[in-house]
Amino acid sequence: MSATRGAAPPLITDLIDEETVQGIADETWMALLGIDEVLVPVPAEVSEDAVSAWVEVTGPWTGAVVVTCGRATAEELSRTLLREPADEPIDHADVADALGELANVVGGNIKALLPAPSVLGLPGVGGKPPRASSVDTCTIGLLWRGQPVTVSVRGAERTGAAPHDAEEDVAQ
Amino acid sequence: MRALLVDDSRTMRRIVAGMLEGLGYEVAEADNGEHGLEVLRGGPAPDLVCIDWNMPVMDGLGLVTAIRANPAWNTVTLMMMTSQVEHDQVLRALTAGAQEYLMKPFNAEALRAKLAQLGLLPEEVAR
Repeated sequence: MSATRGAAPPLITDLIDEETVQGIADETWMALLGIDEVLVPVPAEVSEDAVSAWVEVTGPWTGAVVVTCGRATAEELSRTLLREPADEPIDHADVADALGELANVVGGNIKALLPAPSVLGLPGVGGKPPRASSVDTCTIGLLWRGQPVTVSVRGAERTGAAPHDAEEDVAQ
Repeated sequence: MRALLVDDSRTMRRIVAGMLEGLGYEVAEADNGEHGLEVLRGGPAPDLVCIDWNMPVMDGLGLVTAIRANPAWNTVTLMMMTSQVEHDQVLRALTAGAQEYLMKPFNAEALRAKLAQLGLLPEEVAR
């Protein structure tokens, strides 16, 4: 993997590969959720009510690390992280916080593999993650307890558009 | 033993507080560095402060620096717990006065091992 492509900013696929992203996601899930919480590398469509959590990375490579899953899966992830019983109602704020922390831990470990100096932002959560460059993306599809989860490392859109749609964002 | 846990994520505070309580610690919490300083000023000094890096209002590095600037807290052990895992970040935290650095994600065994290295396992747990 080379760190640069002449004067142009590097593409994420020059810097990391899917296997690396999968390894970081696996380690995060097992450490935070439990040793048996395996992520199976099977791409599947996330439901239309998807919720995303992300952290933005700013540096020689600029973009975001985004974790996306269906709302029911996000609630189950949160209950598991918080050690709440399966039938316990869970606050929206707890779901946002838990999903945001997963994105933060995955994002921090990915940032460590990117060219320095890079700065990690605070997590954001919502229905619309930062817009991505169509060519500067490394995405893995996973199943957690049979439900789809995607982890995407996506470069910032380079067309001069607004950085992202913020209407549904929840600051963390 | 007493610990202060400073992290803006309620999820992480819940997880880590559970780990520390399982080791016999009495745990206080704060959601940013400024709040952490308020908690420190308001009570007896804890044995251990666990500090996230990326937080609003005052980040973890700012909190480490502020704690080390106050001689009253000289004996408090500071442990960074963060996903900022680059070597230069670790060096900055240690230079500012943190004694130990635990990289997220970590589990209860990793935390226990770090506390054992620091001599901060309660006697009944260390046995």
